[in-house]
Amino acid sequence: MLICENLSFSIDGHKLLSNIDFKIKKEKDLLITGPSGIGKTTLLSILCGLQIPTEGSIRYNDISLYSLSENKIDEFRGKQLGIVFQSFNLINAFTIKQNLQIANTAEGSKDTDHLYDLLERVGLADKSHIKVSNLSIGEKQRVAVARAFIGQPKWIFCDEPTSSLDDKNTDIITNLIKEESLRHKASLILITHDKRVQSILNFNKILRLGEVL
Amino acid sequence: MILGVTIITLSVLVNQITKNTFTKNNPDLDVVVGAKGSPLQLVLSSIHHIDIPTGNISYKNAKKIMKHPAIKFGVPISLGDNFQNYRIVGTDKKFLKLYDAELEIGSMWEKPMQSVIGSNVANFTKLKIDKFFVGSHGLIDTGDIHSEQPYKVVGILKKTGTILDNLIITSLDSVWNLHSNQNDILKKSDSLEVTALLLKYKNKTSVFSFPRLINKNTSMQAASPNLEISKLFKLTGEAHKIINYLSIIIVSLSFAGILFTLLNNINERKYDLAILRTLGFTRERIFSIILIEGMTVSILGSFIGLILGGIVYKCIEFFSLLGRNIVTGQLNFIYEILTIWFVILIISFLTCLIPGIKVYKQNIRNTLLNS
Repeated sequence: MLICENLSFSIDGHKLLSNIDFKIKKEKDLLITGPSGIGKTTLLSILCGLQIPTEGSIRYNDISLYSLSENKIDEFRGKQLGIVFQSFNLINAFTIKQNLQIANTAEGSKDTDHLYDLLERVGLADKSHIKVSNLSIGEKQRVAVARAFIGQPKWIFCDEPTSSLDDKNTDIITNLIKEESLRHKASLILITHDKRVQSILNFNKILRLGEVL
Repeated sequence: MILGVTIITLSVLVNQITKNTFTKNNPDLDVVVGAKGSPLQLVLSSIHHIDIPTGNISYKNAKKIMKHPAIKFGVPISLGDNFQNYRIVGTDKKFLKLYDAELEIGSMWEKPMQSVIGSNVANFTKLKIDKFFVGSHGLIDTGDIHSEQPYKVVGILKKTGTILDNLIITSLDSVWNLHSNQNDILKKSDSLEVTALLLKYKNKTSVFSFPRLINKNTSMQAASPNLEISKLFKLTGEAHKIINYLSIIIVSLSFAGILFTLLNNINERKYDLAILRTLGFTRERIFSIILIEGMTVSILGSFIGLILGGIVYKCIEFFSLLGRNIVTGQLNFIYEILTIWFVILIISFLTCLIPGIKVYKQNIRNTLLNS
């Protein structure tokens, strides 16, 4: 279970997030919505251990994330979380395969057979040798999704995964995320304004930032 | 890095090996008497067998000097010929005792034109016992040979690790046979000459008085081997210092190069490094990646520098006049080179820590946002 309690975040004296509370049970999904600039990406960063909150706590089962050392947080993120960033955060100088391999190494696995399966599922097996810088946005998005599912992540975080995609690619990516989450029995925490995504994924819970809950 | 370490290695090798060679080649002699001229040239030609002699001195005078009360013993030497650039030294059997030489095979010379040869001479010229060879005029092979009177090899000496290994030793009579009138030799005439006289004092109090006596009152000169060689090293030491300063500057520049390259690299790759953190790489792991990158450049660069330094040194040794007289098998300098290498690696490590710490302190969230 993911428990977010009384979470607040201020930057330069400005309170961006205030008293956010929610719980997500295992294999349940959460949609985070709200207007631009409201702090959705910041919240996702906090949930992933990339940004220390000003107040409050994040608990994954019995682990209090921010009571861990920075290194332990990094290790926890590598092993338990899969993240699809809005800007993909892929290493452009690397090929698709190398991007997945480095994530596999970070996760601590030496076995690379499953990487090919992942690439098959996202439809990029025949392009694995191509550098990320030479890919289209849709392809980059698919690499980012494939990378998020390396290892055995229990929590998948996606930040606007379809913001720059056309309808066809939105369908492909959204379905891919849904299928892979189910395959890994992982909870999905997704930020999006995109109604097309919301119609494909049936979220158990919706967190609307900027609204009084 | 490669250039700097090459120069340092070369400088250490040249300095240490030549110093050791000069030290080992002097069999604890106190003074050399020879014809007037440069005292350093006299020492180099008669003890280290590098330079050409300053001239000859009368054998009669040499005998007188050997009987001087201040002298414990003296060994006359007569130079003039070579075989395949290995010098032929006419002398008496005391010469071999100076180097504690022992025969590997064969016997000592008993007659004129018999010779014993050093171990390097035997190895490189393939001369064997009972083989004959003809000496060439001069101290380097000019092709002008004494074909009428060949030498016979009667003994081969054990390796001594000194200049003796590179010499062909024979009696004074043999050299005189080739260069003097036969009647003079038979009568041991006053006209017979030797190149130099190697002397040992009875006690050290003669260090100042004896050379002054020779230099003031005779047409000969007396030179102290230790004094002349230390003067030589004082001169070359200055050049050695300049080379060392130069190599230190080059190595320092290479450290700065490594530092700026790494800093530039991490600046260009800070986004990629932040991505690695999001994937689960810990700060320590990324820190060690940066350190390994920098140290790989340093270790490889300095190692190649060491090898190149060694190769350049060997080339110099091969082509130089001193090269043939180098005492091989010296390992003392290895410690000095390893110490220098170790110091370079420590400084490299400290240099690499700077970008490593910068990466360690990186705020991944801000880096990803700013990119």
